[in-house]
Amino acid sequence: MGLLDSFICWLGLKRKEVNVIVIGLDNSGKSTLLNYLRPVEAQTHDIVPTVGFNTENFRCKGLSFSAFDMSGQSRYRPLWENYYRKTHGIIFVVDSSDRPRIVVAKDELYQLLTHQDIRTRNIPILFFANKMDLRDSLSDVGVSSSLSLDEIENKSWHICSSNALTGDGVQEGIEWLSSAIKASLEQAKR
Amino acid sequence: MLASFRKQDKKDEESATSGNPYKNLEKASVLQEVGALRPHFAVVPLFFYFKARTFNDSPVNPRKCTQILTKILYMINQQETGEQLGQTEATETFFAMTKLFQSKDMMLRRMVYLSIKDMASVANDVIIVTSSLTKDMTGKEDSHRGPAIRALCKITDASLMQSVERYMKQAIVDKLPSVSSAALTSSTHLMRQGPEVVKRWVNEVQEAVNHDNIMVQYHALGLLYQIRRADKHAIRKLILKFSKAGLRSPYAYCFLIRIASNLLNEEGEGTDSPMYEFIDSCLRHKNEMVIYEAASTIVSLKCVTPKELCSAVNVLQLFISSPKPVLRYAAVRTLNKVAIQYPAAVTACNVDLETLITDSNRSIATLAITTLLKTGNEAGVDRLMKQISSFMSEISDQFKTVVVDAIKSLCQKFPRKHSTLMSFLANMLREEGGYDYKKAIVNTIITIVEENPEAKEAGLAHLCEFIEDCEHTSLATRILHLLGREGPRTTTPAKYIRYIYNRVILENAPVRAAAVSALAKFGAASDDLLPNVLVLLHRTMLDQDDEVRDRATFFYHLLQQNDKALNSAYILNSMNVSLSSLERLLQRYTMEPTQKPFDVRQVPVETVHVEPARVDIGISRPTEQVPSRQDTYTEQLSSIPEFAHLGPIFKTSPPVDLTESEVEYVVRCIKHVFSHYIVFQFDINNTLNDQLLERVSVQMESADGFEIVHYTPCQVIKCNDMGTTYTLVKLPDDPTGVTGTLTCTMKYTVKDCDPATGVPDDEEGYADEFVLEDVEVTVCDHMQKVLKPNWNASWEEIGSENELEDTYALSMPTLEDAVKKIIQYMGMQPCERSDKIVEGRSSHTLYLAGVYRGGHDILVRAKMALSENIAMQLTVRSTDQSAVQVVASAVD
Repeated sequence: MGLLDSFICWLGLKRKEVNVIVIGLDNSGKSTLLNYLRPVEAQTHDIVPTVGFNTENFRCKGLSFSAFDMSGQSRYRPLWENYYRKTHGIIFVVDSSDRPRIVVAKDELYQLLTHQDIRTRNIPILFFANKMDLRDSLSDVGVSSSLSLDEIENKSWHICSSNALTGDGVQEGIEWLSSAIKASLEQAKR
Repeated sequence: MLASFRKQDKKDEESATSGNPYKNLEKASVLQEVGALRPHFAVVPLFFYFKARTFNDSPVNPRKCTQILTKILYMINQQETGEQLGQTEATETFFAMTKLFQSKDMMLRRMVYLSIKDMASVANDVIIVTSSLTKDMTGKEDSHRGPAIRALCKITDASLMQSVERYMKQAIVDKLPSVSSAALTSSTHLMRQGPEVVKRWVNEVQEAVNHDNIMVQYHALGLLYQIRRADKHAIRKLILKFSKAGLRSPYAYCFLIRIASNLLNEEGEGTDSPMYEFIDSCLRHKNEMVIYEAASTIVSLKCVTPKELCSAVNVLQLFISSPKPVLRYAAVRTLNKVAIQYPAAVTACNVDLETLITDSNRSIATLAITTLLKTGNEAGVDRLMKQISSFMSEISDQFKTVVVDAIKSLCQKFPRKHSTLMSFLANMLREEGGYDYKKAIVNTIITIVEENPEAKEAGLAHLCEFIEDCEHTSLATRILHLLGREGPRTTTPAKYIRYIYNRVILENAPVRAAAVSALAKFGAASDDLLPNVLVLLHRTMLDQDDEVRDRATFFYHLLQQNDKALNSAYILNSMNVSLSSLERLLQRYTMEPTQKPFDVRQVPVETVHVEPARVDIGISRPTEQVPSRQDTYTEQLSSIPEFAHLGPIFKTSPPVDLTESEVEYVVRCIKHVFSHYIVFQFDINNTLNDQLLERVSVQMESADGFEIVHYTPCQVIKCNDMGTTYTLVKLPDDPTGVTGTLTCTMKYTVKDCDPATGVPDDEEGYADEFVLEDVEVTVCDHMQKVLKPNWNASWEEIGSENELEDTYALSMPTLEDAVKKIIQYMGMQPCERSDKIVEGRSSHTLYLAGVYRGGHDILVRAKMALSENIAMQLTVRSTDQSAVQVVASAVD
């Protein structure tokens, strides 16, 4: 990035573009969550299971996000890793009401963390304990402990409970992610 | 840049479906352009790997990425150079590319769609882009929607079709023409993978037919036809409906005309059919394209009569004087085609065609002249030939071939003009030209030589001169073969030997081998030349090529025996076996450990191919090689255990209908003749949709000593379905009484069933029978046609041991009739062109050759003289006594 570009960035005229990938098991609410982040007039009411992936763009805190909304169905999960390499952040969505499958989510998370493109880099990970409005759902702390998030080393992470339908907790999480990505970019520059 | 090629390709595709007669013309120039790009793209795949990383950059640089995608596309589409993307390379590049979906750049996105389509077959896991594409096809950006639909259909397989169904239905009825067209054309492609799913969209497609846009209408009609094509009745209704409703799109009209003509030709309907009325009404359409399509369809219909032809030709005549070159070209090309079959119909246009001779467009001029040559009289030939030679050097090979074909038909029409035409051909042969062009000329000269004895010496001389400097091996070998066959019978055979021996010294191995064979034929045919030929062959025995040396050695020692019978069997006439069967049987023989020698008589005889009359002109398509009919039947029959011991099929007769074509059960019979048995194969078509047949067999009875051995019934024939049953019959013990008549009755159990589901209503059913027409076994069935290139040699070879000679009086008006009838009754092959009778002669000799059941050669000589009726002296020779008697009995 040239000197002029950095200058413009510093002035906040041109936003820095970053890539994030949104992953998690099927039916955890990834597409719904991104749908909420769209401008109001572009939001849709019927969300269908994603085949492959979708891209969404949104802005937050001076960053322009390109989000790769990956399909969570088991047959497409092996394809996630194709998008790890150049990503700046990861959003991991968990269905906190789906207690039986939380171990599957943990498994997928472990696979992610040990992947060669992720293992050594300090990539901020944002967890959404989604569907908090459901009666039977786990709290964010509950999800955190069932995923053993405490064991994550060398990465900054954050978990917040959310309701993707109404948008509760989503903005808060994205704001954390923006600042964490900025911090990691600063760190990388040094 | 590549994107623009693509567009051009598209255009080519579109024009191909809309009946543009130029569809092949653009290609060469496009290829040239691609070729000019080559130096820029001399790159290795690794380079792309490296470059593909650019896709991961954020923000994406659209210009750079577009360039790289262009190069990738170029490489994928480059088939010959071998620098292909491997599967893993392609998959990695593909995933890198999917990241470009985040870009909003219009050009880049369109490039991504193109790349998805091209990489769909190379890369793995391409379904990853499904959701991204469905989002784009329903999105707001109109220019993305069409390409997204096309890309989506390319990556969708049968299992994923359900998930895109909803989007496709929406897209078909979209208001935007580009989206609707893309969805319709893509659905046509999807028909191949999941016809059932696409058939469910029929309501949407029908709505799209009423769209205002002409392209959408055309595409929708195309898809509608694809959906309904199995149902003839529905297609008929479709045509009638739209011919009344009045479509806006001329393309759609052209398409309807094509469907209608297919229907007419398949069903064999006459000009009173409503389908024909529709085509005829299109002659008065206001669009030129539709008028032309209708006219060119009418002239190629099977059922057309001179009256209908006339109205079509009138329309074309108007086009000839049109200021548009396209119309002139199309009209004259079609007239040229018509002139082959109906020269009289085109004569009316002669005056207009004359004006086209000087047309500035050489293609039009060439076609005009060749058409005139076909319709004109003998006097005009010289003038027209002069006219052609003035611009022969300016036209392309393809049109030169058209001229050659015209000359060929002229020679057949006016044999007396052969000297003018032959020298013209010889001039053309000397000029530059490609293989196809040279082949056409050589073919024409060979045909003239074979058909016109007066032209023979001149033609052979021209060909000899041509092979002195001929770069095409296949042409040289053909000419050498012809020289070997025709040369020895000319007045001075010796002069050809020099030409042939030159080839042995100068050419490559295949030509040398052919030359050696030709030399041997001269040696076998002429005692004077034998010592010289032996010397030449002896020299060739030291050739460095195995095949040439083997042939030389073989022929040298054979000729030294000086035995007429050997010469005839091994040099002058070749083996008449079917090569594919010989290969198969030899392979089987080497697999089985056996002490028995291989019996060549086991191999089915190669039937003489009758070349169908060529109707197309010049721009011909390569025809596909179909496996021999006999081989497929052999496979079918050998799978039935009862027929395993019968041995190879000697002859399979063409199918004969045993019923009228409109009855409940349509039955055809095919006779498979074996050495001691006949298998009658009955193909039964159950045309009823509410009855199911079980245990179907055809009972046969005969008074002529045929013994019915076994019935192989067909277990079930469903509604509207075909089934096959066999009856095995042993031939009579008396070897001379092998002809006769057998009565046939079809016996079966009927079960009524529900027309909708095809499931029988009751379990029991009832027995019934159906009387068929009689089947005849004639002499033809025991005879295979075989062409003896040198009939006399074979006649001497067989000798008079089993000769039978008799005189008959035939009550037939002309010699032609007699010749035709005799050939038909005996089922033998006329040799030495003796089936053609010189006009005005009152006597004729017919030479026939064949192979009798069991592999016995049989020859017939029929000397005929015309007085009040025809007196015929018939002489039959064969290696088998009974065969002679059977054949002689055919005349009674």
